Amino acid sequence: MVIRHARKEDVDAISDLIVRTKRLNNEFDPLFAVTPDAKGRAEKYVQATLAAPGNLLLVALEGRKVVGVLRAEMRERIFYEPRNEGRVTDFYILPEHRRKALGDEMIQQAAAELKSMGAEIVVADVPAQNEIANRFYIKRGFRALINQFAKRP
Amino acid sequence: MNPHKDRQRAVHSGVERGSARRVGREAGSASEDEPSKKALEYSKFYGGKVGFAPRVPVRSLQDFSIWYTPGVAAVSRAIEADPGLSFEYTGRWNTIAIVTDGTRVLGLGNIGPEGALPVMEGKALIYNYLGGVNALPLPVRAKSADELVAVVKAMEPSLGGVNLEDIESPKCFDVLDRLREEMSIPVWHDDQQGTAGVTLAALFNALDVTGRELRGTRIVLYGAGAANVAAERLLARAGADPRDIIVVDSKGILHPERDDIDQLMLKNRWKYEIAIRTNGDRVKGDLKDALDGADVLVAAARQGPDAIRPDEVAVMNKRAIAFFLANPVPEMLPASARAAGVEVVATGRSDFPNQVNNSLLFPAIFRGALDVRAKTITDTMVIEAATELASFAREKGIGSEYILPTMVQWEVYPRVATKVGQAAVREGVARRRLSAKESMQAAMASIERSRKVMNALRDGGVIVDPPE
Repeated sequence: MVIRHARKEDVDAISDLIVRTKRLNNEFDPLFAVTPDAKGRAEKYVQATLAAPGNLLLVALEGRKVVGVLRAEMRERIFYEPRNEGRVTDFYILPEHRRKALGDEMIQQAAAELKSMGAEIVVADVPAQNEIANRFYIKRGFRALINQFAKRP
Repeated sequence: MNPHKDRQRAVHSGVERGSARRVGREAGSASEDEPSKKALEYSKFYGGKVGFAPRVPVRSLQDFSIWYTPGVAAVSRAIEADPGLSFEYTGRWNTIAIVTDGTRVLGLGNIGPEGALPVMEGKALIYNYLGGVNALPLPVRAKSADELVAVVKAMEPSLGGVNLEDIESPKCFDVLDRLREEMSIPVWHDDQQGTAGVTLAALFNALDVTGRELRGTRIVLYGAGAANVAAERLLARAGADPRDIIVVDSKGILHPERDDIDQLMLKNRWKYEIAIRTNGDRVKGDLKDALDGADVLVAAARQGPDAIRPDEVAVMNKRAIAFFLANPVPEMLPASARAAGVEVVATGRSDFPNQVNNSLLFPAIFRGALDVRAKTITDTMVIEAATELASFAREKGIGSEYILPTMVQWEVYPRVATKVGQAAVREGVARRRLSAKESMQAAMASIERSRKVMNALRDGGVIVDPPE
């Protein structure tokens, strides 16, 4: 298994995985209902990520097949210290490659690279009800920082 | 005063011989509606199919000072000191509960616990008559898996085993796994282990008839409910390569990249695991794609007769094997399957050859497990039972229209029970380490006792024949 930075030729495969992430989120809350044109939006999102500085896009490959993706971006916390945050926005691994420590490797590599990009803390966004993701991060020393509440007005 | 006493009583010389004749006649000529009409009439006439019968004599009322207080207190004290003695001093050793929440009864769906009661009574009667097991029909009002688990666990002190029945999927997997983990008596879900076990027995002989070995055979399981989820596990334990198994449900072939895979991870982890470990070639598509070149089809999916089309089975390998297990109408009728090139066809019905019928297995499984006071029923015990069931049929001479014994070949029950008991001893889950001979004797004694009780009750006019 190889973990490397994403390239242009990975866009289609990464977009599929990004859509899967969003569908998985929808399993936890109907406010994450996925739009019908999600694949097209995902492609633009991935291309924009590749084009902009301050973003991190890692892929895990088995042979030539993309089996995992991790997207993160740098953000500035203008009122808080530490100020520079590396935020993991999307993280997905295909089912048959789970429980083999690949997730661990990817988050460790992402944390190291975000640190080299200036991140003083690493944060990750996951749906509140996603207990699997919650356990994953808590087990690796993360703690819950913000509760985000939502309702239809 | 028993109102039934006034009815004309017909005395039969032997229950099993009479049953055999009746089964033969019904298979040929009875209309589809006749059993339903009779079931309603007879259920009202008898007011229930099973009931308690004493095991001890009451010679006079003085005997109650032994069977009840004050004498019984000594027995209670002994059991308090050693709860294991409850298997020796009470009927616990031979008593199981048939528990359901009524959420998936036969092909009727969620009809509630009361609606399930006649079915559980029927099952209790089969347990009693074919296995000599004292089975209590116990539908319960329990909505969630947690409630069902709690109520079954609470009954453990009274029981030697539990048969779960007709519980919706995927709740049934969770309930069975938890109860097997948390209880020290056998917990069996017949819709999972029973159907899978008898399917395995049928498959052993169908493979023999068509000149195949289990390893290397390409198997398609159509339907991913209780029966086929258990079948996949049991097939793998029996030697099939999971990569040669393809499971197909209503959304198509299960594989690790199917669009709903994460939903399965969260809502049906059993199907999720199957999607990952089976289908080594990662075939995608529908049933026909799965069947292309397959050797075996086991359908436990939905009512037929057109749930599977002839063109779908026609793409299977030469000398194909197909089991259509939906009841009462198989996914495809045997004649259509044979016309499409399938060599060995089995269904769940008694009026076609090769009936894959749980009743061939569950009475013997529990007979064997109870006789050795087993703490659980392992997959190995089920595979041993399936192997013995298949051996019995082989001894009689198997062919494309005879791959399993029939229920009237009752000699098979003590034989299967003995194999189950011996497997429990070998696996270290038996509280009583009986030899094979002792297992056989114990099984024969219980089964023969049940038959004697039935004959005595009929001959004595306590159980009368139904009105014509």
